[in-house]
Amino acid sequence: MKLFKKTKTKDTKDTKDTKDIRVLNDLINTLGRKKVLSEIEDRVCYSFDSTKQKALPDIIIRPTSTSDISATLSIANKYEVPIYARGAGTGLSGGAVPIHGGIVFDLKSMNRIIDICPEDFVATVEPGVVTKHFQDEVAKHGLFYPPDPSSAAFSTIGGNVAECAGGITGLKYGVTRDYVLALEIVLPDGSVINTGRKTLRSVTGYDLTRLFVGSEGTLGIFTRITVKLIPQPEKIDTLAAFFSDRNDAIDAADSIIDNNILPRTLEFMDQMSINAVRGYGGVAIDEDVKALLLIDIDGTGESIKHELSIVENVCKENRALRVRVAETAKERDSIWAVRRIISPALYNIATHKINEDICVPRSKIKEMLLKVDEINKKYPIYVANFGHIGDGNIHVNLMYKDEPGQEELAERMVHEIMEEVVACGGTISGEHGIGNKKSQFMELEISPQELAIMKRLKSFFDPKGIMNPGKMFPS
Amino acid sequence: MIQAEVLDELCDKIGRENVFDNIEERICYSFDATKEKHLPDLVIRPHTKEHVSTTISIANKYNIPVCPRGAGSGLSGGAVPIKGGIALDLKNMNKIVEINARDLTVTVEPGVVTKDLQDEAAKLRLFYPPEPGSAGFSTIGGNVAECTGGMTGMKYGVTRDYVLAMEIVLPDGSIINTGRKTLRSVAGYDLTRFFVGSEGTLGVFTRITLKLLPLPEKIGTIMSYFKNLDDALDTTDSILIKNHFLPRSLEFVDKTSIEAVRGPSKERIPEEAEALLLIDVDGNERNVVNDISKIENICKENNALEALVAKTDDERKAFWDIRRSISPSLFKIASMKFNDDFCVPRSKVREVLKKVYELSKTYSIQVAAFGHIGEGHVHLNVIYDDGKEIDLSVHNLISKVLEEVVSVGGTITAEHGVGDTKSEFVKLELSPHEIEIMKGLKKMFDPKGIMNPGKIFA
Repeated sequence: MKLFKKTKTKDTKDTKDTKDIRVLNDLINTLGRKKVLSEIEDRVCYSFDSTKQKALPDIIIRPTSTSDISATLSIANKYEVPIYARGAGTGLSGGAVPIHGGIVFDLKSMNRIIDICPEDFVATVEPGVVTKHFQDEVAKHGLFYPPDPSSAAFSTIGGNVAECAGGITGLKYGVTRDYVLALEIVLPDGSVINTGRKTLRSVTGYDLTRLFVGSEGTLGIFTRITVKLIPQPEKIDTLAAFFSDRNDAIDAADSIIDNNILPRTLEFMDQMSINAVRGYGGVAIDEDVKALLLIDIDGTGESIKHELSIVENVCKENRALRVRVAETAKERDSIWAVRRIISPALYNIATHKINEDICVPRSKIKEMLLKVDEINKKYPIYVANFGHIGDGNIHVNLMYKDEPGQEELAERMVHEIMEEVVACGGTISGEHGIGNKKSQFMELEISPQELAIMKRLKSFFDPKGIMNPGKMFPS
Repeated sequence: MIQAEVLDELCDKIGRENVFDNIEERICYSFDATKEKHLPDLVIRPHTKEHVSTTISIANKYNIPVCPRGAGSGLSGGAVPIKGGIALDLKNMNKIVEINARDLTVTVEPGVVTKDLQDEAAKLRLFYPPEPGSAGFSTIGGNVAECTGGMTGMKYGVTRDYVLAMEIVLPDGSIINTGRKTLRSVAGYDLTRFFVGSEGTLGVFTRITLKLLPLPEKIGTIMSYFKNLDDALDTTDSILIKNHFLPRSLEFVDKTSIEAVRGPSKERIPEEAEALLLIDVDGNERNVVNDISKIENICKENNALEALVAKTDDERKAFWDIRRSISPSLFKIASMKFNDDFCVPRSKVREVLKKVYELSKTYSIQVAAFGHIGEGHVHLNVIYDDGKEIDLSVHNLISKVLEEVVSVGGTITAEHGVGDTKSEFVKLELSPHEIEIMKGLKKMFDPKGIMNPGKIFA
């Protein structure tokens, strides 16, 4: 074990090991053997996330209650051991990677839906509930939990809240933050607080709830999350519009919104993304297609029909090659399959990927994509852009080969892109969070004074710096 | 009292014409809609963020309280300078800096009146949803400081959900920018929402960027009278829970509130009406017509005395005038009013209101309840005539009501804020540890405690 990385000299080694053993013993004595894992096989399983970084934790805790978490944090705090919260490990900024070793909480073991109150339009869950599972459960009551990241089928609500995920329904329905009403949080000293209320409104005192949403596991561990629900829309219809020019697709997206329509989803894919999907098999997209929009409209049957016909016309007015309206659930699914397989399909282009999720004002998208093209000319790297165009949230994927120097080039290119993003008023992260992958770019967007305030907030809640160390702040 | 040298320094740096210390001006800034009174020593009317920053730097240097003020229409004492010092009147900072239809964003100064912003946005077929009852005169800065909800919250959420970015002058006079003018941004801690609802105790907003939506094509309105509260609540349940409509507004008005508006209202209100629902539905034309007719039926199925569908914009306005005139009309019943705005889970509204009316009888004090029933948010007005003994009973009544509210999982304030009128009740809802954390945060941002002292924390 290497809980205390800084103690390296031979003299202190014995003391260090004794301390390590004491931490492990304390944890086992308090939580019981079953919840404490320290075998190498287990540790490997918790050493990475979707960024493909790797760092071994020393101990994994599988808590089943708030008190397990509280007890663990008290011990971690006492011995100053780093501690990381982990949901499904599907994060794209390194949030769940234990980069300084220490203890990982596997929160998938806390996956109960505590209650769904159809009369109140609220539900309370433990952090390890998988988002899609939760959506399905509330749908049984005719209710809808809108935040829908592409990872919804495996990512957890806890992770979604920690990163403030947006997802594909954000333009019409907002992001995770807009749905979180109350949290039970274990603070780094092991104490438990309750923020917010299980009511649709509440303004008593400072808004600690939203301060913790998007805090990336650096301030505390959510043990219960109360969210707002809304009635399930009666129906969803789907349409795919194919364009021969990226700018036409962007114009069409703008013009849909100009026509006072807020689609449930408005997803964009560029030529490289389409090429990847084409090569992946199973989905046929004509050769002349260079950009496409995937659009969901929801509401009542009547209004969908009305809006769908406007959207169809708008796409045609903006030079769409073809517009395909899904007639059946199966067709709907096959249209969406295109979007779902992008991420795996991209590995057809190259074996390595950096996934950025910039967000710019929508009026700057064309300009931003041109800048990305410009920058790309200097690098032997493939770039695929797709994402939530209605929100200006574009996932810029840099694909590179597993060859010496390639990763450095890709990172240099990311840096150039980020500078342009911030210069046009955008943000370095729309929904993935900063983690350690983007912490070096924080200073582009956040002034030294604001960063200092954030650091003070961090040390106010976590004076010993045990919670997810090395994340969010530039080193 | 503010020393002459401080006054000179202020006049020197931000212009004599923006600094007022005559009694007439000070009186104008001594109260808000709670009817509390306390004279500020000085009134300052900044025109720029530099004015705000300079004022606050000087206040910080000399430990002078600063109390920011929008329209002074708050209902929790937020803008009352209870510790004297400087009243910072932000109404001159009332420019709409930029509306961007493509980006669905607008940037405003804090003194912009909410309705003015809504009207300007509507010209571009855009929509800023949060609409407190005071929208015709209250300011965006005030709305953000209290995190107001308003009439459209059921469908569209509250102010917090629309604030994307802010320029804020901190208590040391420094200026920070939080958030981004993008529809999404998650870099670092969410300082933006942390400041929303901070009631002027952490800093002064000098620019606010808000999210806009496309303007709904049409709004349909139904006003429905019921012979008792239960029928009205059954109707609400049926609309939301059984039929899963999400109306733009779902307002309820109780018996005492109806009595108060009977006189002033031009509408004929049925004699036997003891409850009223006012419902707005929005969307595209066809949808609205359909929804309205379905909701009309739901009202009738639940024994509505009448369910009136507005046929013209004028009729719509007339219906809403009834709702909007409640608050001022209550003064017909008695000279004093304590306006509480608790929120409970919707399933608890019935039991809490029952308890409220029982308490009203026990203490022989009249109460009028109305509000955003779809969200479980009730404006409870305790109406009374001044007098020492009465004051004590009013206080006890409110205490008992809020204890009940918190015990069923509710909150002591849904949108008015704590201010000083509700600060003693905070401990009902928040644990000592949570209060300590909030005090610690206050101290981190405002170590000298100059920003709106005496508010939120008892």
